[in-house]
Amino acid sequence: MSKELIRLDRCTMVFDEDVVLDNINLNIQDKEFLTLLGPSGCGKSTTLRIIGGFQMPTSGDVFFDGVRINSVPPYRRAINTVFQKYALFPHLNVFENVAFGLRIPKTDANGAKVKLPEEEIHSRVMEMLEVVNLKGFEKRRTTALSGGQQQRVAIARALVNRPKVLLLDEPLGALDLKLRKDMQKELKRIQKAMEITFVYVTHDQEEALAMSDTIVVMDKGCIQQIGSPKDIYNEPQNAFVADFIGESNIIDGIMRADGVVEIFNRRFQCLDSGFEKDEAVDVVIRPEDVDIVPLEQGQLKGTVTDVTFKGMQYDIIVDFYGFKWLIQTTDLAPVGSNIGIKIDPDGFHVMKKSRYSGMFGDYSSYSEEFDEISQGVGDDEE
Amino acid sequence: MKKNGRLGGRLLIGLCFLFLYLPIFLLIIFSFNAGNSSAVWQGFSLKWYGDLLENRLIMEAVATTLLVSLLATAISTVAGTFAAIGLYSLGRRRREVLLTVNNIPMMNADIVTGVSMCLFFVAFFGLWGGFAEWFNAQQSFLELPTRLTMGMGTLLLAHIAFDIPYVILNVGPRLRQMDKNLVDAAMDLGCTWMQAFWKVILPEIKPGIVSGALIAFTMSVDDFVISYFTAGSSTQTLAMAIYGMTKKRVTPVVNAVSTILFLVVLAVLVINNVREARLERQRELIAAGQPVRQSPIVEKVSQTLSSPKGKYIRWGGAFAATAVFLVTVISLTAFTSSQPVVNVCSWGEYIDTDLIDQFEEETGIRVNYQTTDSNETLYSLLKSGGADYDVVVPSDYMISQLLEEDMLEELDYDNIPNFDLIDDRFKYLPYDPENKYTVPYTWGTVGIIYNSTMVDEEIDSWSCLYDDKYAGKVLLIGNSRDAFGIALKYLGYSMNTTDENEIREAYELVADANRRGVFQGKVMDEVFQTMEGGNAAIATYYAGDYLTMLENNEDLAFAWPKEGTNWFVDAMCVLKDAPHKEEAEAWINFIASTDANLANMDFIWYASPNKEALEMYPEWYEEQYDEPLDEEIYNIIAAPQEVLDRCEMYVCLPPETRALYNELWVQLGI
Repeated sequence: MSKELIRLDRCTMVFDEDVVLDNINLNIQDKEFLTLLGPSGCGKSTTLRIIGGFQMPTSGDVFFDGVRINSVPPYRRAINTVFQKYALFPHLNVFENVAFGLRIPKTDANGAKVKLPEEEIHSRVMEMLEVVNLKGFEKRRTTALSGGQQQRVAIARALVNRPKVLLLDEPLGALDLKLRKDMQKELKRIQKAMEITFVYVTHDQEEALAMSDTIVVMDKGCIQQIGSPKDIYNEPQNAFVADFIGESNIIDGIMRADGVVEIFNRRFQCLDSGFEKDEAVDVVIRPEDVDIVPLEQGQLKGTVTDVTFKGMQYDIIVDFYGFKWLIQTTDLAPVGSNIGIKIDPDGFHVMKKSRYSGMFGDYSSYSEEFDEISQGVGDDEE
Repeated sequence: MKKNGRLGGRLLIGLCFLFLYLPIFLLIIFSFNAGNSSAVWQGFSLKWYGDLLENRLIMEAVATTLLVSLLATAISTVAGTFAAIGLYSLGRRRREVLLTVNNIPMMNADIVTGVSMCLFFVAFFGLWGGFAEWFNAQQSFLELPTRLTMGMGTLLLAHIAFDIPYVILNVGPRLRQMDKNLVDAAMDLGCTWMQAFWKVILPEIKPGIVSGALIAFTMSVDDFVISYFTAGSSTQTLAMAIYGMTKKRVTPVVNAVSTILFLVVLAVLVINNVREARLERQRELIAAGQPVRQSPIVEKVSQTLSSPKGKYIRWGGAFAATAVFLVTVISLTAFTSSQPVVNVCSWGEYIDTDLIDQFEEETGIRVNYQTTDSNETLYSLLKSGGADYDVVVPSDYMISQLLEEDMLEELDYDNIPNFDLIDDRFKYLPYDPENKYTVPYTWGTVGIIYNSTMVDEEIDSWSCLYDDKYAGKVLLIGNSRDAFGIALKYLGYSMNTTDENEIREAYELVADANRRGVFQGKVMDEVFQTMEGGNAAIATYYAGDYLTMLENNEDLAFAWPKEGTNWFVDAMCVLKDAPHKEEAEAWINFIASTDANLANMDFIWYASPNKEALEMYPEWYEEQYDEPLDEEIYNIIAAPQEVLDRCEMYVCLPPETRALYNELWVQLGI
């Protein structure tokens, strides 16, 4: 449908014998919204900095429009960046911040320095301030703006240069939840309106699912999976992806035949195929795919150990033979009750064993706070 | 209870400030004193400020200080800023290590920094000399100077070196506060690193750079110790000049120049603090979301400067300032390097400075006039190789020591015809028996100065120094040679004895008097303040200095003890291998003239060795001041022959005797 714009070819990045990026291959299409998603220290910001030109990969190549750009400095790339904490220039007002890039003389084809005329700078800045809804703020000092306004100045400052690619490094991390939701829509709108490529870095899976055309899930310097939000959610390739994107119960299972998977010594019908007979596998069951049924009708029987009211649904932790599952349901089952459950064949997703097997998917130590903390830790790579 | 505590605290703070500022306050007050005392108020006058402007040595030192400080500030600010940027782009651990290294020079004792730089320069000059000789022998295209000496260049290097840490210290925090991504952002928007530096880093860290520069400037202006060791013999900063002037006695000119220096440094610090307070307030306003108001003038100026037209004003201003500065530097160096020069080192307040101008006018030779505080300091300066003097004016015993060590050059007396004018009494003296090396500069005697309101009897013997009658009112002269020499004389021995028993006996005499509490303390130049203020009854000091004290306290009297005393001659000599021997001899000849001797005798009140000048002085004085010279005063300046007959001149003592003197002096422990 579209052409390839950026390609990372076997890129590896090593800092002080610490492998931050391990042999990354990545294609970015023109005009797509691509998100690099992963926990702190997974290498997503480093990947972004390599694309932006702030770091050179230790080995491997970077191509832009088919041209190798490894040693092209940031100021000669048709790429602009929105930095994590905005990095607005405190000594300049809003107008001058946005005009900053336009005021730098550019070298034309003949090698002569060209300066944009003042009228053009003015009209382009004003146009861009309109795009980000900041008309009337030109004379304000950036330090006197709110977080969301600063964010929009940063976006305007980058976009006014008409880049082919906009890089965004956790741009919404410092905003509160409500503002973050609004800005997600805003960013998506701007991307559509400007018709350019966005490469977006975040550790927030919801944000990634809501905005992206393509999601690249990363961990420990490696790409775990590349795909559309739906693919990533429904067909995670390993336990890490399954756990990182949404909530998942991940259970050891055995593939008895195509369409038949065994967990807890019981066989279930599923839609997956293509595994060896009797191959050990990881089985993902999303909490919303589990139905609570009366005890006697249940495929499996367990005891409720914890219930949390979440507004739209209850989060219920159920103990099955010592393994704790998370179930999201609208039916309340009180703590201590014995329940049965039923899972439809399309509720099973079978994955090959990977190095992440056994590390995720058990809710024994489930605690919401714990989850919040582990996600909330900033992505500062310093 | 609590209230008392607060009161006590306030009192303590009050005392602290009093202790800190009272001396400075007194110094400022006495800079306006009409008289020349630092203890007795004689009415308001600005005359010392006038003297200051006319004092060539001080004005030259001011020029040197400003030039060195400004250049050092400019260079170290640029270097320190870039060093700080480099430091802050390193990893945390390496940065911490380097910052600690950076802090060491600031905490290091100045004296260690100064001495080590001095040694470094001397060592480098040695290596350079070898290299230059080899290089010059290899080719004839370029002739390198083989003999480098310390001077403006080394002084500047030293100042840059000790200024840089202060700049880094001030710029660093601004860099740490700065968002690291700002530079990335600027480069992302099309700036090269250098453009990002000008457009983003510089405006962000400017306050730090300005305070760094201001601190560096005050440090430079202020510095004495490091300058002292790195300026060489031909350059003098203001602090060094002041130090040299306090050697003899603190004249109110010193007060005046110190007052100005204090006010300049104070002004710079106040400007810096006010500036920082204002920036802080602006930051707070911005944080509170309020608009920042500036005074209309500031706004107008900043508007003009930031308008397109302002660009020309800015560049023009910067260009003009640079041009003026460069022209000054170049003309100063050109002026100083094209002229013949003679480097003279003498004592503070020991010449009528008009003579220097007069000599320069007559001969076209520029005089670089420096001072040190004692024969011993002069000796160590010469020994360390840090000095580059042509003419020195040591005292008799030091001359013998320098001769012993072959450090003096034989003079060509054909170039010094005025030597014939010197009284024969001051030729062929024991320190220079064949008179091949020296021309006498002044001579004088040591005697007893006493306050006639506190002493009833007629003083005619050293015995009063050790008499219980004057317990707590006697000032012991503050060097071992004079203190023990006087005791030896009193006991009837030679001042130059090497007999250990005699010296120990003299020591016992002094130590015993000390145990009985006769001495108030041991003093050198403090003798002026103490005696003028009437705070002690008896002191021993130089006859010429007695007359200075008499001006401020008419109750003081002078006597030569019957046991005899020390008389001394200070003589001009040329150092071995002096680079300007011809000019040096011209200078010596000029100073030996009758006119110069008269002027000097009138200025310093030490006796002239020029026969004609010595005899003519009373007559000349009357002509000059329209009043006759008091005969008694004349006799005190120029001790009559029968006094001299009872006096002894110091000779250089053998090393073991010198060691004994030192040992006993320490043992005395006053």
